[in-house]
Amino acid sequence: MNFRTALLGTTAAATAFIGLAPAAHAQRAADGNVKILYFQAVSVMNPYMSSGTKDVHGSSLVIEPLAGFDEKGGLVPRLVTEIPSVENGGISKDLTTITWKLTPGLKWSDGTPVTADDAVFTYEYCTNADMGCSQAARFQGIKTVEATDPQTIKITFTTPKPNPFSAFVGAASPVLQRAQFKDCVGAAAQTCTEQNTKPVGTGPFTVTDFKVNDVVQLAANANYRDPAKPAFATVTLKGGGDARASARAVMETGEFDYAWNTQINPEFQAQLAAGGKGELISAFSNNVERIELNLTDPSPDLPEGERSQIKNPHPILSDVRVRRALSMAMDRQLLVDVGYGAAGKPTCNVIPAPEIYASPNTNCHVQDIEGAKALLEEAGWTDSNGDGIRDKDGKKLSLLFQTSVNAVRQDFQALVKGWWTQIGVETELKAIEPSVFFGGDPGTPDTYQRFYAEAQLDTLDYDGTDPEAYLGQYVCANVPGPGNGWRGTNINRLCDPAYEKLLADLSKTADLNERAKIIISMNDLLTKDGYVSIPLVDRARLSAKSKTLGGVVLNAWDSELWNASDWYRIK
Amino acid sequence: MLTFVIRRLLLAIPTLLLISLVIFLLVDLAPGSPMSEIPRTVPPEVRERMMQAMGANEPVVVRYLLWLRQFFLVEPAYVIDSLMGTNLAGGAQRVLSWQSRMPVFDIIAQRLPQTLTVIGSAYLVGVLIALPIGIYSAYRQYSWFDQLGTFVTMVGSSVPTFFTGVLLIIVFSVNLGWFPSIYDTTLEVTDWASFKMQIMQMALPVTMLALHNATEISRYMRSSMLENLGQDYVRTARAKGMSERVVVLKHVLRNSLIPVVTVIALGIPTIFGGAIIAEQVFKVNGLGTALIGAINASDLPTVQTLTFIFAVLIVFFNLVADILYGILDPRIRYD
Amino acid sequence: MRDATGSAEPPLVRVRDLKMFFPVHTGVLRRHTGDVKAVDGVSFDIMEGETLGLVGESGCGKSTVGRALLRLCEITGGSVTIGGVDVATLSPAELRKARPLMQMVFQDPQASLNPRMTVAAIIGEPLDEHTTLSRDEKLARIYELMDAVGLNRRFASHYPHEFSGGQRQRIGIARALALNPKFIVCDEPIAALDVSIQAQVVNLLEDLQDRLGLTYLFISHDLSMVRHIADRVAVMYLGQIAELSPREALYAEPLHPYAKALLSAVPEPDPDREATRKRIILKGDVPSPANPPKGCNFCTRCPEAQERCHSTAPRLSEVAPGRFVACHRVTESAGATGATMANEHNQMGENE
Repeated sequence: MNFRTALLGTTAAATAFIGLAPAAHAQRAADGNVKILYFQAVSVMNPYMSSGTKDVHGSSLVIEPLAGFDEKGGLVPRLVTEIPSVENGGISKDLTTITWKLTPGLKWSDGTPVTADDAVFTYEYCTNADMGCSQAARFQGIKTVEATDPQTIKITFTTPKPNPFSAFVGAASPVLQRAQFKDCVGAAAQTCTEQNTKPVGTGPFTVTDFKVNDVVQLAANANYRDPAKPAFATVTLKGGGDARASARAVMETGEFDYAWNTQINPEFQAQLAAGGKGELISAFSNNVERIELNLTDPSPDLPEGERSQIKNPHPILSDVRVRRALSMAMDRQLLVDVGYGAAGKPTCNVIPAPEIYASPNTNCHVQDIEGAKALLEEAGWTDSNGDGIRDKDGKKLSLLFQTSVNAVRQDFQALVKGWWTQIGVETELKAIEPSVFFGGDPGTPDTYQRFYAEAQLDTLDYDGTDPEAYLGQYVCANVPGPGNGWRGTNINRLCDPAYEKLLADLSKTADLNERAKIIISMNDLLTKDGYVSIPLVDRARLSAKSKTLGGVVLNAWDSELWNASDWYRIK
Repeated sequence: MLTFVIRRLLLAIPTLLLISLVIFLLVDLAPGSPMSEIPRTVPPEVRERMMQAMGANEPVVVRYLLWLRQFFLVEPAYVIDSLMGTNLAGGAQRVLSWQSRMPVFDIIAQRLPQTLTVIGSAYLVGVLIALPIGIYSAYRQYSWFDQLGTFVTMVGSSVPTFFTGVLLIIVFSVNLGWFPSIYDTTLEVTDWASFKMQIMQMALPVTMLALHNATEISRYMRSSMLENLGQDYVRTARAKGMSERVVVLKHVLRNSLIPVVTVIALGIPTIFGGAIIAEQVFKVNGLGTALIGAINASDLPTVQTLTFIFAVLIVFFNLVADILYGILDPRIRYD
Repeated sequence: MRDATGSAEPPLVRVRDLKMFFPVHTGVLRRHTGDVKAVDGVSFDIMEGETLGLVGESGCGKSTVGRALLRLCEITGGSVTIGGVDVATLSPAELRKARPLMQMVFQDPQASLNPRMTVAAIIGEPLDEHTTLSRDEKLARIYELMDAVGLNRRFASHYPHEFSGGQRQRIGIARALALNPKFIVCDEPIAALDVSIQAQVVNLLEDLQDRLGLTYLFISHDLSMVRHIADRVAVMYLGQIAELSPREALYAEPLHPYAKALLSAVPEPDPDREATRKRIILKGDVPSPANPPKGCNFCTRCPEAQERCHSTAPRLSEVAPGRFVACHRVTESAGATGATMANEHNQMGENE
């Protein structure tokens, strides 16, 4: 049987399946319209053009990767028959290749077959140097992507890759159709408005109308692989407003069925729940609100270019006992209650999930002011002049604590300042406009990379479930400084050979349990042993859904709309 | 009059060029980067290449000249091409938004309808309620109606729109459920039912903005009427034996409208500027939210193009106001 | 006195005890705490075809009298009868119907013409309101009026601001004449004009009076001009008439101390008499009309004031034929009959 007959066979089977599908079963496009509200509106339907969360989520309704993550962080096949592994031969023993097998009979929404060549094209498209691909990092370390046959994609890495699930995994790395994007390679990608807003995909829906930063209208994909899905005939993906208003639109007025990222304070959460039209749903992943500590001296007395650099260790924070005391003073549960409610829980880890990677460390959950005081005494910091602020060798224990302008963060700042004052640490607060703080402009001193402060409150999550790349940030070579245009990611300025040794081991280990062990050690070096970061709150994704919307499974590891094909109207 | 208009238009060119340069430098100097919206998981070298692809890391002079070329040569060429079917543009790059990679003029074309419908009709309704209120308040100065009007306008202009907007939503959308709180830009008016829907969804934002606009204009109308009511020619009209209606509506009103019409004309550019807060609160997603969104994302081409178009509109409507003044007031002649 | 002149005609305008008070509100609650007595009990008659001059300082209430006569403001008390119609009590609709009878020429020709109307529209508007003329007839009438006041017909479609002050006042006069009024109040019609133009306008008014038999109340502070145009002259001080006399008699020998002082300021055309002219300089300021002095209004500044003047207000009484004065001293020395304006409604112009 050649390929063509095989294809015909599956089509026939699929047709037969449609015919046989029981009427009581879910039926495609039977449930009308579903209205989704993203208060940050979708700008573009191509995640290679923008890595904004809203754009990745929006496009996930239309274009899909080979595999995605489920709500527990496990891999699920999307366009392939199974997840490759060393056991099933999908991953070579030397960890240098991974081979994906496309599901037979898969079609683009325009009716043409999906082939391995489309994945090859997508790789070429994103790695073109003139394109400015925002997901280029996912294709790093890849030597070749080949279509060994129309159904098989073989990815070869330059070095052994213990975690090869980066390219074509997750909503941010979908497969594009070569036929549609063939003229959009390189610099031309920027001007392909039609392609970037109405991509041809394999997902449950296709774009029928796109109004930039406003509203996307989609209709069920007639060629979707599951003939009984999606249940909704059309989707309206609207943008605008803020978290409060979008939560209200679902839970109080009932105008929308689903609202993304309804981060609202606990008090308002309770008020909206009383509205009765909807409910808040949350899911945890790896998003930890933490205080980063600066191990180098940010003092403005130093010449420019030497502030916050490795050669000037911090006079106070270099002592791990001080860092630990700062952490002990935290009442993490109170922070959760004040800022997040259902959308947060206390954590002592920078890697809180998936479970296998989470350190079983909970000793920070109880506040210990007295312990912190004792620890500071031990470190030689005493209040010699009775002004309530500890000092040592004529130097006051005084810290600058900065964050981005944000109501919750600034509440946290105030609470933390209170606790630190209790243990005799003078704290000066600073809040910086988010576009400046996160903007990364090397010309401004107020970026989070420059870190011209002792402590800063922020959050950092990472893509997918594997934290290797994330943990790889904390190495000496990644310290931001004038040499690299302040572009490093090791903002704590950690330079720990033991840590870097663990990182090297991790890059060579493929066994999941072994990896977990190393990851936990590294997490502990950053937290309970090293106190480089002070994790505070494990933040959940918090969204709102109407009580008439069924099938929603909130997923914090992938696009929130990952299973929109399963959504249906509760009647 | 014609020479006056031509002279003013010629004078406007250097003014606008200077404005465009100033805007460009201001936007460029403002802190923030187009990468600030990009998740921090994206590594620096990828960011670097993204900036490069957008042309965001060229020197400011190069970017400004490129923008000038795109705005004044390429964009008109595309307009001519689409109208005449020619190919003047020859595929040259248009002004592209950094946020969405869409041509900024396409974004404007998408956004203008809802801005004009909602903000425009709010302005119109505002003017239509402001004029009678202003006229009657002045005619019956210090009456209870006037006192009430003064109170309402004071409240109206001092209470911010984001407050009245949310108040309207809570009362009329959440509690009473009469009107939608979210504007549906995809609604097409094809029949009575959809027209009714359109009116329903316009009700709250238009009410909010119309009240806000009306307070200001009714004050202008009132004070202008008061000034004219005390004029001798009004006494002349009464001495002629004209009825009160003729005296007020023909003599006083026509003269009082001269400055008010000017104020109204000068306010028109704000329609195009959109009402950022109203659009945000009711998710109208017109030009106002386009601008604020672009500012937040440091989307320089969009901010630059939008603000420059507003500048052009302001200069233009200033001219319109001057011309209207000349037409309405025979004492003013531009020669 | 009616018998003395042999005329049986009733006066065209009869004003009795006219009062115009403007209420004063003060305090947070804007309570009514007093009145500005702009006109306080003024009485006079004007015969048909006569010109009554009304003179006085600024703020004495003379313009208010003019407006009150035409009921351009609501009067507080008294009666105004024009052509047998009690203007003071007419309803607004009746008043509008009575408007054609009485018209006014205003002080400021610029401000009193609607800047957005053409000359033709300004003159023609009363015709729209009060007549049923066809368009052509109206236009003919407008041209006729423009001819009458010496305006070139070419200017009919021009706007007021395109004219000089004198021409504008001609427009104002033409407008006033449009409905063939019998009585015209000229409220300082020349005060805003150049001296060279003043004479032209006054001559025009006189000329029109002769041709059309108009009756004027000519309000002015220009005593020379009043002497030129008026038949009789009333001198007002602080809302009241101090003296009302035939022109020649008044200018030759003013009786009221205020009239004396006022007229002493008028330069004499005869150089001999001018050389001997003695000016009487009044001391002090005019009291506030909201709080007039007790007794005679003029007692605070009167060079001849007696004790009585501070306690009792004098009444306007006829001290010589046709001469009415409100002054205790004058009435005493003249041995006045006690006849006053209030109860004898028969004073006459000397030329009748």
